[in-house]
Amino acid sequence: MRLPINLLALTLSILPSTLAVFADEAYSIDYHNELLGLPQPHTTFFHRPQSEEKATLLYTLSDLGVLGAVHPGTGKVVWRQLLDGEGYLRAVEGEGTVVSGTGKSVQAWDAMNGREQWGNSFAGVVKDVEVMETVAAGEGAKDILALFEEEGKAVLRRLKGASGDVKWEYHDPTEDLPLQVSTNVKDVFVVSLHGARGGYNIKVSTLDPLTGKKVNEYTLTAKADVHAPEDVLLVGANSAAPIIAWADKTIKNLKVNLLGKSGSLQTLPLKESDGDIVKVTIHAPELVQSLPHFLVHTHSAVSNRADVYHIDLASGNINKEYELPKLAGKGAVSTSSQDANVYFTRTTQDEVLIVSSASHGILGRWPVKVDKQHGSFVHGVAEVVKKGADSYAVRSAILTSEEDWVMVRNGAEAWTRVEGLSGAVAAEWAEIPESESLAKTLEAEAHSNPLSAYIHRCKRHINDLQYLPGYIQELPFRILSSVLSSDVTSHKPGALVRDNFGFNKLVIVATQRGRVYGLDSGSQGAVVWTLKAFDIPAGKQWDVKGIWVDSSTGVATIRGADGEYVLVQTLTGKVNEKMEPGNWPQVQSAAVVDSPSGPWILPIGLNGNPGDIPSEWAPKDNLVVQGKDGEVKGLKFAVQGSLAVPITAWTFQPATGQKIVNVISRPAHDPVASIGRVLPDRTVMYKYLSPNLVLVTAVSDSAATATFYLLDSVSGAVLYSTTHEGVDTTQPITSAISENWFVYSLWSDILPTTSGLPASKGYQIVVSELYESDVPNDRGPLGANVNSSSLEPSDVANAEPALPHVISQTYLVPESISHMSVTQTGQGITVRQLLCTLTSSDSIIGIPRTILNPSRPVGRDPTPAEAEEGLFRYQPVIEFDPKMILTHKREVIGVKDVIATPALLESTSLVFAYGIDVFGTRVAPSAAFDILGKSFNKMSLVATVAALGVGVAVLGPMVRKKQINGRWQTA
Amino acid sequence: MHVSNFVTLISLPLVLASHLRVSIPSSQQLQHPNTLPASTHATLTTLSNTYSAPLRSDITFDFRNVTSGSYLLDVHCHTHAFAPLRVDVHEITPDGVGFDGQEVQVWGTFRGNEWSNKGEVVQAQNEDGIWSFDVRAQAGKDYFIERTGFSPLSLLKNPMILIAGVSMLIVFGMPYIMDNMDPDLKAEFEERQKVQPNPAANPLQNFDAAAWLAGSTSKESKRTDVPSNAERGITR
Repeated sequence: MRLPINLLALTLSILPSTLAVFADEAYSIDYHNELLGLPQPHTTFFHRPQSEEKATLLYTLSDLGVLGAVHPGTGKVVWRQLLDGEGYLRAVEGEGTVVSGTGKSVQAWDAMNGREQWGNSFAGVVKDVEVMETVAAGEGAKDILALFEEEGKAVLRRLKGASGDVKWEYHDPTEDLPLQVSTNVKDVFVVSLHGARGGYNIKVSTLDPLTGKKVNEYTLTAKADVHAPEDVLLVGANSAAPIIAWADKTIKNLKVNLLGKSGSLQTLPLKESDGDIVKVTIHAPELVQSLPHFLVHTHSAVSNRADVYHIDLASGNINKEYELPKLAGKGAVSTSSQDANVYFTRTTQDEVLIVSSASHGILGRWPVKVDKQHGSFVHGVAEVVKKGADSYAVRSAILTSEEDWVMVRNGAEAWTRVEGLSGAVAAEWAEIPESESLAKTLEAEAHSNPLSAYIHRCKRHINDLQYLPGYIQELPFRILSSVLSSDVTSHKPGALVRDNFGFNKLVIVATQRGRVYGLDSGSQGAVVWTLKAFDIPAGKQWDVKGIWVDSSTGVATIRGADGEYVLVQTLTGKVNEKMEPGNWPQVQSAAVVDSPSGPWILPIGLNGNPGDIPSEWAPKDNLVVQGKDGEVKGLKFAVQGSLAVPITAWTFQPATGQKIVNVISRPAHDPVASIGRVLPDRTVMYKYLSPNLVLVTAVSDSAATATFYLLDSVSGAVLYSTTHEGVDTTQPITSAISENWFVYSLWSDILPTTSGLPASKGYQIVVSELYESDVPNDRGPLGANVNSSSLEPSDVANAEPALPHVISQTYLVPESISHMSVTQTGQGITVRQLLCTLTSSDSIIGIPRTILNPSRPVGRDPTPAEAEEGLFRYQPVIEFDPKMILTHKREVIGVKDVIATPALLESTSLVFAYGIDVFGTRVAPSAAFDILGKSFNKMSLVATVAALGVGVAVLGPMVRKKQINGRWQTA
Repeated sequence: MHVSNFVTLISLPLVLASHLRVSIPSSQQLQHPNTLPASTHATLTTLSNTYSAPLRSDITFDFRNVTSGSYLLDVHCHTHAFAPLRVDVHEITPDGVGFDGQEVQVWGTFRGNEWSNKGEVVQAQNEDGIWSFDVRAQAGKDYFIERTGFSPLSLLKNPMILIAGVSMLIVFGMPYIMDNMDPDLKAEFEERQKVQPNPAANPLQNFDAAAWLAGSTSKESKRTDVPSNAERGITR
């Protein structure tokens, strides 16, 4: 590989540009779904971020702990904050503030720009957050009440609205389960559940808002009806008359208590219309100035209806005012208040109607024009605007059963956010199944006798003639569009076909809520199909162990932890076969194996036991599994009759005190283009290319060490191991292995024991390359052997295995890397890029292998010969140049995994990242050398040819004239 | 602000903990810190202890309850890069000796250098128990590179194109100028053409290499130059 030095200098000068994202390609080759997660009914609302202006934003704290503000007109995210898990969200009415309580902390956010106003964290877990409506004298902001559970006891804190500092604390001495905090104008109520799980009584403590001292306490008997905190339907908050309600065991009656009135427990009958009631929800306004009305919404299996009740503040009586008639199907009811008026918006499959809480007259009615694909409406929030004396407008953001968040404006669909796509737990690439009709006919022709094949072909061609006029008609447009459009890969929207470059692929995504999506990478990650594979109970996550796509049949197999699996057609999303969870044994992991009957996905049971397998399905290769205590085992299948039985070939146990946190192997598709690396002196280092490499990460929390073992999966021999000291084991330790190299990253700290040595604090990335021998031009102990065995490396009995020669280098990086993966291309000729997920800056970076080369000369400039081989001086720090960031200006949050797949073009690898957000792009680590990209200006080429043509046409006659003149004049 | 280490959190009331406030001043690189995105946050990291704080409305990061230790402060921002700082939080003994009574000391630090290699001291002030100091933006982040596309202007800058353009101008422009010339001038010009038998034909043909090497100028050219200049002077 000898290149002229000037050419090389040119290549090096081009090099940075190949790593970067081009301004004209950004936003066109990459796609990103800025997701929030499913909005929760009690943490979603419209709120004015600037109290003096009328415009509102839509706020939600989702099931994934993403706090976000969405523009209600466009559906675009205004700002997002990733908090620690589900929690509570309240708007401070009349102030541009929203208050969240998640995990251990309570935070107030500027509603306009999403910056924190204050934050405070405590020892307990937040159980509820509420806003004190009364402003204390001399303080501008409304105070916040935060209910915590600390060591099983309720603690209520009043936090100052301006700083978040504690004003007072109330400690409940009993071990009751704190449920909620409510206030009316003059009292603070702490509602807790007294008793044990399975039967609770409800305890209401009344506190003095100024001092936090307990004034009163009473208990409501509900043992027979309330079994879990979820059974309490509503504790209205911040209204003039907060209530607590629950349904009796048979859902025939509703029991309601006005908080603060110990004697008044009223029973309201629930009217059945179509069989048993399956769900009851209560909707009440949350403002002090609103009228004390509430609505009880009851669902039966096939219909829904509602009753509106009024509370008489003087007597404390609750009276039914009117009812909303039964309507078929499911529906959503939402409350919105304007001053004292309370409006209920009822959205069913057919129409949207708004009523005032005061009377049953319908104020507005619109037919629903929403795409039926979204499913039925589950819950939503509405904003009613009174435009004139009698005219109203309503917009409601409704979560549908298909997990889309739809904005319905006066009955029409304004926008849709595919929030169900958030919280992805597994994804896999799938080829678009090819239409095989032509291939089949060609094959049929090849197998029949020549004459009939010829006749068949002629017939086929004559038949094809009917498409010719259309083709000719389309031709000018095709030429024009190919010249004018700058994107070479643009394709018709809607059509799901393979393209010539292999950019159009499907991504099968499984989410933690049991939903499966098919995305089209060719059309900006558009959702092609979606289906609910399994109903995952609330609070649980679908634990997907593996997805395997059989490209020959176009079927994806998704396996879960509880033995469930589903077979889905990748093109249409139709379910071929399904097994519900719990019917089959538990699955620890799943691996794609190659067997005599073809590849399949093998579920591995608990303790790393795959169980007996029919012999024709037995894996050809060894399996590496993790056993009961985390040890790594090598399994081999031995055929016994019709069954194949797994036999433990070897067991690897790390040193005492260490626990294995990660085991990785080379990717399934990992082609190697060159078996050696050329050194500057034209000698060759031969790569140690074993398909059986396994990298095991073991950490010791007490000793703060991380040890990496490189194992041979056939023999279980340790090929290489290294230990890092002063490692923070709570920070992410990630690794990747490909070809003949592996990388890992960790946080390394200075140690008191090595204080004399120069040590650094920071994130490190360590790259190691494996070679067959430390001597160039030498193939090591294996020599020129065609075959070698890991079990018997040489003729000598019990000989040690041939250990690779390892070259390592450490680089410091500015940020923690939470996940690593490697780009894949068809032949492996293109230099690989290491794709690292940076959690702290919400981005994904592509680090080229040339930068991570461990052979970079240390402490000196490279010689010209070294520079020719692409080596440049070692710098201990790799600064993350923003140009290397694949996600560029996009903020991709919560990335869990990044998967790559080769395109048909050798230069290009397709990348897809999932987690909370979904992001996809194409990368060309060695520049797009095999495609005319956007840099190739077709217009200028055509213009140049045209200009030359014009020049020839003009100059031709002139030259001819001159020549003729010249001959005549000289003569 | 969330704290990832629960152990330290539970033991918070026992351990003396500091309250840090890091502010971003307006600077040359970042003239309006108000424009920073809401996702901007800062982290304090040391062995098995990490604190993270989001950007506040007053363009500060608030770290409550920071236990003693030597921390690396990083600011993560999507639009600007910030220099890392070393933040040492000391447990102050009642008499206040050691560390000059400073509970919190801040220096610049350099990635890839040993931790003891401290940079410039950043002053940390104590106001009502809150230690505040500044962190400065280094540069804006530029994610894209512009593709150097074809532009006619760059073509014109090419000297070859310029030479070609000038010669084109002469080839096409000269006859036109000749035609429009004053008849007197034209006659004179033609006369001079006759006097000088095609001087531009090939100057190399009668090039006296030896004379040139000797440093003397050609007599012939001198002789031709002088009268022509004189003539021109007279006519004008």
